[in-house]
Amino acid sequence: MVKQHLQKMGKGLVKPETFFKKVRKEIVQKNKRLNIFISIPKKFDVKTKGKLGGLPVSVKDCVCTKGLQSTAGSKILEGYVPPFDATVVKRIKKEGGVIIGKTAQDEFGFGTFSTNCAYGTPKNPIDPSRSAGGSSGGSAVAVASLSFPHISIAESTGGSISCPASFCGVYGITPTYGLVSRYGLIDYSNSLDKIGVMGKNAWDCALGLSVIAGKDGLDQTCVGETKNYTTFKRVKDKVVGVPKEYFSSAVSESVQKNVWDAIKFFESEGATIKKVSLPNTHLALPAYYIIAMTESSTNLAKLCGMRYGLSLPIEGSFNEYFSKVRTKGFGEEAKRRILLGTYMRMKGYRNKYYLKAMKIRTLVINDFKKAFKTCDVLAAPTMPFIAPKFSEIRKLTPTQVYAADVLTVAPNLAGIPMMNVPCGTHKGMPIGLHLMADHFQEEKILGFAGVKAWRR
Amino acid sequence: MAKIGLEVHVQLNTATKLFCGCRNEPNPKPNVNVCPTCLGLPGSKPRINEKAIELGYRIAFITNSKISHKMFFSRKSYFYPDMSKNFQITQYEIPLAIGGYFDVEVKGKRKRVRLIRVHLEEDPARLVHVGGGITTAKYVLADYNRSGVPLCEIVTEPDFKTAEEVVAFMKKLLSYLQHIQVFDVKKGKWRADVNVSVPGGNRSEIKNVGSIKDMEKSIRFEIMRQTHLVKFGKKVDMETRTFDSETGKTYTLRSKEEEIDYGYIFEPDLTSFEMSKDYFKKLDDSLPELPEEIEKRFRKDYGLNHEQASILTYADPALAGFFEKCAKTYNDHKKLANWLIVEVLGFLNSVNKEFYETSMPLRKKQFIKFLELMDSGKMTGRIGKELIGKFIASEDNPEKLLEKEGFSVIKDELKVRRIVKETVSEFPKAVSDYKSGKEKAVHFIVGAVLKKTRLQVDPETVKKMVVEEID
Repeated sequence: MVKQHLQKMGKGLVKPETFFKKVRKEIVQKNKRLNIFISIPKKFDVKTKGKLGGLPVSVKDCVCTKGLQSTAGSKILEGYVPPFDATVVKRIKKEGGVIIGKTAQDEFGFGTFSTNCAYGTPKNPIDPSRSAGGSSGGSAVAVASLSFPHISIAESTGGSISCPASFCGVYGITPTYGLVSRYGLIDYSNSLDKIGVMGKNAWDCALGLSVIAGKDGLDQTCVGETKNYTTFKRVKDKVVGVPKEYFSSAVSESVQKNVWDAIKFFESEGATIKKVSLPNTHLALPAYYIIAMTESSTNLAKLCGMRYGLSLPIEGSFNEYFSKVRTKGFGEEAKRRILLGTYMRMKGYRNKYYLKAMKIRTLVINDFKKAFKTCDVLAAPTMPFIAPKFSEIRKLTPTQVYAADVLTVAPNLAGIPMMNVPCGTHKGMPIGLHLMADHFQEEKILGFAGVKAWRR
Repeated sequence: MAKIGLEVHVQLNTATKLFCGCRNEPNPKPNVNVCPTCLGLPGSKPRINEKAIELGYRIAFITNSKISHKMFFSRKSYFYPDMSKNFQITQYEIPLAIGGYFDVEVKGKRKRVRLIRVHLEEDPARLVHVGGGITTAKYVLADYNRSGVPLCEIVTEPDFKTAEEVVAFMKKLLSYLQHIQVFDVKKGKWRADVNVSVPGGNRSEIKNVGSIKDMEKSIRFEIMRQTHLVKFGKKVDMETRTFDSETGKTYTLRSKEEEIDYGYIFEPDLTSFEMSKDYFKKLDDSLPELPEEIEKRFRKDYGLNHEQASILTYADPALAGFFEKCAKTYNDHKKLANWLIVEVLGFLNSVNKEFYETSMPLRKKQFIKFLELMDSGKMTGRIGKELIGKFIASEDNPEKLLEKEGFSVIKDELKVRRIVKETVSEFPKAVSDYKSGKEKAVHFIVGAVLKKTRLQVDPETVKKMVVEEID
């Protein structure tokens, strides 16, 4: 749909003014019902030239947009209008993409169900009593619900692209750590954060990735090449690894069945199926949360009401003032992570938690590296269950919520690319297949996700 | 005996800041050399300035330190209004270099100061306390021009016993840092945290001392204060103190029991990377000549003695360069050295100024002219000594100055003889003293002649004439 739209735009067969008038009407209307956007620009900066010429693009709120409020879903950054564009936004604009809004998210990405949102929770368009997933919930809802051609720029730290894509039944690619510049991304956990793309199909995601990927002088950790990801490789004779640890009893039967069906489909397309083991998988969840919380507790320190965002009447010492602003500005989950993250890097605990988690991270990476010696991709369920109801989520403890990320944290910790591919439904709700590949092997994943017969 | 240790922070002489492209340059206008990164705006990221690493390594070289080939940064977290991110990017686990030493001379004796580490970090913003000091100001303004300026921290072992030793160390260190071009005294600043303890007491840390004079005074005060407490059986608290140069005293800032746990983590936005052997070879080759080498060369090439050569090399690096440039065209090297050391430095010392602060480094030709005026007899040495201060302070060329001040040498020998004759007749006592064998009495008359002629005569010629007249 994006492909056809771009062709029409290029040939002048679509009137941009009329098209974007419709776009605005629809997003305003759907936003009321589904809470997709935190901010919508007053005026669209419509361009029709370039690889994305005239394509509506939504951007997760944590990615800075010049002149457009960027809060990362937090009250502490309410009213913050960045004076610069994130590198990905700059590249999208340069290729003619039109930013249509900033999508709702868990505050700073702290959540699995988009229930930690300071500006309202996005709702699953298939069943609004259910979660859209998190933390890039708004982006997934936008892709799933908006009728016009569109891609969304999302972000994942521990599964924040895969999870909502799975719950809403859309495609979402999380690239290798370091393929896409993080300059302008409001940090959650710098060594884990990755900007990716959500779309209605694999090609849309690949197009978005082709535009945003590649080296950037403003982010030292970004080393990726710029290339065209939209020509898909064949899956014939490729090896699909199936890690046994990802099919435990924690994963619902319906999910397991649908994912296996998908894997068998690849076999019928000429791929070989190989059972593998990732023995350190059980260590990934605690290691991930320790590293993510530790880094985020330092990232959030700058938000203190002194230079931007929320401010209050100045009273008392700077410590008292900072505390007051932070008490008011941060939500409960942010506070929990600041406290835990700070604790885990203090003297006496630093060795036990932070440094140990960094070592475990290497073990997890080695597991994957070993598997990719014999496999082209790994296939697993994205989430252990279908999108839960908000009423069910309310009953969960924080650790139960964290456990929901059990299938997505390991590849995120390893920094390998991954993609959610819708592969069936249960009770009418989407189920996601998770495809993973070795570092910088996005093309292998896209080859599987883009199998023609697959896009039924 | 006291134990003193230093943490010296030196602003490195780079064109841009440590983690962004903003200019590293003092600016009287606040908050102009700023960008999202050094302002700590959400979404901004640091990127390393390779020049700063190079300069850091130079310091490691001259301090005989063990160099880490791996560059690695950490986050040091604490809340303070001068910190744009409320964490500082610094080096913790793996500093740039460790285990070095730096030798200084104190009262003619060589002393080895061991260094714990040398590392790079970013400078925080500058706080301006309005309407008072750090504890009394009504409010505080923040200037982010300084935020992200590269700092090199040099940490010593507590190897100093006296303020004198610290002063000798700082003087030599700062001189070296200028010679190897990592520190530009005109635009860069340095400051040090000074740790002092005396036997029987705890250690106190004096924060942010910014000049050698303050360092000396604060150490002397602290030793006295602590010794006094111990002597009277009182406890010396472990604390952080500040030095007030107005009162010459140190004051408590906070107790060490409130010491912050910085919760260090690895800086995830900066990749660690390793420097190649080739890199260090190039670095070694590019290292400028060190003061010790210059001093040796000055003795050999220009026939100076150890003291002269040392003063010219260590006092002010601009001076060594100036001497050498002048020596290329002015052949009486000893005279040149003497005039620079005795007269120029003497004058600057009397007005509390440094050589680099004057226009002198740029006036090589004029200074040579100044010396040549004396060589050709157009200006007497006495007048030269009289005029050197005015010469340094003004932008005038020496001939013009001489004329302006009315100090041209009286060429008319008859005129000089007439004045001598006249003066001799005015001091019969001195004449009779001289005649009775007190040869020194003649100086009295010569002095009077010089006074009458406003130094516009050569003292040796006058002396000859006076003796002739009396005889």
